[in-house]
Amino acid sequence: MASDLFTRWRYKLVPDKIVGEILSKSWVDNAIPFLFLMIALAVFGALLPSMFTAGSMSGMTRTAGEYLLVALGLTIVIMAGGIDLSVGSVFALANLSMLALGGVVGLPWGVAALVVLAMGGLIGLVNGVLIGYLRLRAFLTTLVMLIIVRAVTDTLLLSYSKDITSVQIMSPVWEFLAFKTVFGVAPSFLVALALAALAHFVLTRLRPGWHILAVGGSRRAAHNAGIDVRRTVCLTYVISGALAAAAGIFYAARLASLGNDTGLGLEITILTAVVLGGTSLGGGRGSVFKTVLGVIIVVIITNSLIRLGLRSGASSLVLGTILLMAVAIDVRWLKNRAKLLARSYVAPTYFALPPLQKVSRAPDTPYAINDLLSDAEPIGVGQVDGPEDVILDAEGNLYCGSRDGDIIRFLAPDHKVREVYAHIGGSTLGLAFDRDGSLLVCVGGMGLYKVTRAREVIKLSDETTRSWLSIVDDSRMRLADDLDIAPDGRVFFSEATIRYEMHDWIIDALEGRGNGRIICYDPRDGSSRTVLSGRQFPNGICMVPDGQSFLFAETWGCRISRFYYDGPKRGRVEAVIPDLPGYPDNINLASDGNFWCGIIGMRAPAFDLAQKMPKFRKHMVMQIARDEWLYPNMNTGGVIKFDLSGKIVQSLWDGVGERHPQVTSIREHKGYLYLGGIFNNRIGRYKIPGADPEWTGPGAYWGAKP
Amino acid sequence: MIGWVTDRIDRFRGRGAYAATVPPMDGALRPNTRLEDADVVARIAAPDNLVVYRGQVLFSSGATIMALDLASGAMTDWRRCPTEVSALAVQGETLAIGLTDGSLILAGDSDRTVKAPGGCITALVDGGDGRLILCVGSARNPSGEWKRDLLQGGATGALWSIGLNGVAQKLSDGLAWPSGAAVAGSGVVVVEAWRHRLTQSGAPLVTDLPGYPSRLSPAPGGWWLTVFAPRNQLIELVLRERDYRERMMHEVAPDHWIAPSLSPAVDFNEPMQGGAIRTHGIIKPWAPTRSYGLLVRLDARFQPIASYHSRADGRFHGVTSALQVGDKVLVTSRGGNAVLALTEVQP
Repeated sequence: MASDLFTRWRYKLVPDKIVGEILSKSWVDNAIPFLFLMIALAVFGALLPSMFTAGSMSGMTRTAGEYLLVALGLTIVIMAGGIDLSVGSVFALANLSMLALGGVVGLPWGVAALVVLAMGGLIGLVNGVLIGYLRLRAFLTTLVMLIIVRAVTDTLLLSYSKDITSVQIMSPVWEFLAFKTVFGVAPSFLVALALAALAHFVLTRLRPGWHILAVGGSRRAAHNAGIDVRRTVCLTYVISGALAAAAGIFYAARLASLGNDTGLGLEITILTAVVLGGTSLGGGRGSVFKTVLGVIIVVIITNSLIRLGLRSGASSLVLGTILLMAVAIDVRWLKNRAKLLARSYVAPTYFALPPLQKVSRAPDTPYAINDLLSDAEPIGVGQVDGPEDVILDAEGNLYCGSRDGDIIRFLAPDHKVREVYAHIGGSTLGLAFDRDGSLLVCVGGMGLYKVTRAREVIKLSDETTRSWLSIVDDSRMRLADDLDIAPDGRVFFSEATIRYEMHDWIIDALEGRGNGRIICYDPRDGSSRTVLSGRQFPNGICMVPDGQSFLFAETWGCRISRFYYDGPKRGRVEAVIPDLPGYPDNINLASDGNFWCGIIGMRAPAFDLAQKMPKFRKHMVMQIARDEWLYPNMNTGGVIKFDLSGKIVQSLWDGVGERHPQVTSIREHKGYLYLGGIFNNRIGRYKIPGADPEWTGPGAYWGAKP
Repeated sequence: MIGWVTDRIDRFRGRGAYAATVPPMDGALRPNTRLEDADVVARIAAPDNLVVYRGQVLFSSGATIMALDLASGAMTDWRRCPTEVSALAVQGETLAIGLTDGSLILAGDSDRTVKAPGGCITALVDGGDGRLILCVGSARNPSGEWKRDLLQGGATGALWSIGLNGVAQKLSDGLAWPSGAAVAGSGVVVVEAWRHRLTQSGAPLVTDLPGYPSRLSPAPGGWWLTVFAPRNQLIELVLRERDYRERMMHEVAPDHWIAPSLSPAVDFNEPMQGGAIRTHGIIKPWAPTRSYGLLVRLDARFQPIASYHSRADGRFHGVTSALQVGDKVLVTSRGGNAVLALTEVQP
């Protein structure tokens, strides 16, 4: 169909999935401020051609350095869930004190600076005690502190301004701070940047930083986790006070002047910078980098407005408007980000399956439906939750995975006694025994694990090579699904999808894209690398006894293929069954040299059609509730037996769908077939007429056991 | 301009007029299992159209009209018709039989066959004073093709009245699959399935039902309303997606459509919704479903006051007719292939 061709190319050329993947990144919070910065640069750059000259930039870094210091403190306070409005007054008092102590009193400038810093910290401490320990409201407390400190400053100014301005601080370092630049950048900005880097490190890597974020995220949860909430809150105000004082010292060095308007309205400017950067006023969300971005934006705007000749009132008006806008964006973004992500992450693409074969109850057709599996004898009904894979050891003990991360064992010979063989966590999926009887297991969300005979759990692999152009981090394994072991010990395992977590695995079907891959773990050097990627939910893997290739099933692709990992055809993929009428799952050896494959569900023509219409699926995901989405029909499944040429030798079904509506795994053992199902609460046991009563899986793989 | 833009946004996000939402089953329609637990009187393929004629309970099954003995549950062939029966009604001593080929047999002491004014007879109702009210579901599709009519957005049905003299008179048209009617007070109440509502002389009585309603029959102090299939978000979405709907009707067999159904899913080629995966051997009663069993009791003003359900995991879906006999209510579950009897029906 012509429209199908168009749709196919449209979805091949435009990678829709990028939107959702970018939105799922935490750095996307920076996107809006970054965009804003670009707009500000473009607008003011066009209005003021002189803005980007070296001199102008260097001037701006002086203001930016002071702002950034104050903003860092405020960021820390806001991230812990508070607010500090007193920074402007502290800044003014610090300026005055520095000039007074260094000049009139005559202290060496370094000592004076330390005293001023301590004073800032002390004011912060008062704030912190009131808010952190006495639980006063942060907004009111710091507002009152703003007025008090401002009043003190004004009083001192009135009495001593003449004395102070008459004496200057004399020191080469002080002069350097005041007038020199390093590669065009003011020292204050360098100091601020260094502190920003330090703050970033503390907040993201060290315990006190995590405590601050935890307290901001949820005071109660932080308290319950054993964090001293009161002390943490108090500490943030001390930091904020000291940093505001530091900014005041740089201001003193730069201008050496006193004025009633020093630091006036600074709290609004800094608040604008912090919120515009993307640090959330609600606490718990934010970063130092965001604040740096916000400060740069605010400095560019204020600077440009002054140069454009706007009166200072107008400048405040603009800043206030920006603050309001930033707060509005912050609130809406926080509220809707998760929703937006949930809706936009699923990115369907065009996928056409080969024509659906007619499947009926007519006995002469290859996939003739029957009810043989409805008679399967149940094992462990209600004692297992989602045995995706089952396996038997040489002694006949039955092992299965479960949804809650255990490997369950039913003891031979009657499989009536159940025990937890090992607890791993994650969702235990594919199972295989290696040469010395250790159980290798694929764990959804965790990777490839090994359980030794002594029941020790060892991680083998949870990382593979990261591809260069992938936005989601595809080096971690999200959904290791099934595995098999080559005669030389290499483990080949499938990762069904790199875009969805274990609990969302069926949603991958709605995308119709090859999101999965096959990974090889080499026990000789412990390395893992991707051998085959871009596959549609690669699931079951089964070695072909030639020692050069294995079979793998692609569930959503409804096909079984053969991959050569060695030998002359190395690297080649050959189709074995390209057009199954259902969705294949695990593949395993049969005693007669053929292969069993579990069928987890059947193709529904309405779903096949939807796979050719990605827009319809996108609308579906956007518009209706998740439980209502159209999925592959997973309520009828069965087992097929096929040979290497792709011929279907036999098929077994539960046509009624009561006991084994979907079969994800099958193992033959001493004449019986054991069945597992990912949504089932039982394991089934079916007697295969005429099968070799001595044949076991471990025997076929590793020879007779000693 | 702004209207066009908001319309586009609504369409993209599925809001406003494009919201694929379904009214919840709540209030009088709160789910229970009373229909699922009802006594099974008889098991027979696709029973429909319960009536009492000359003191005998009759219903149709395919082309046969069966007589049902209430006490024993025994069924006897009462009459065979040339094609499938689509509606029955009793008018005094006459039994009106509507057939899927559009002919109308007026059976009494002697038969009289007339051509109905429309081929798709969905319901017949005694209009009193010798009139017979006839619902013609669609001008485009026969009654068996009701899924197609729904997916085509069908609104070509009509309501006719046939007088004693055999002259047909159109009462109204442009109806979305009229599938039941009742004469009450000043006029005829019509059930429009595809619009999920009951109207009287064009004015809505009940709107936004959570399913597709069909026939009305008298109950003490009110009415029985059968609802033969549930509304479903996915189907509502498909009804809004023209491209997909048209290709589905063209490329997929009707049994495998995303469309309401009379019987619980049996075929593995049928579409399945996420919430309907059989987990631990069980399908949830509240799973999304394309078939459902629902009988609603209405008061004299046609407002729902009670309901009887067979839910997503149930057997007796596709309820198409109900008949009050003494203190019992007989119900046909066309999709469940059973005639049921509800005994405790005091609202």
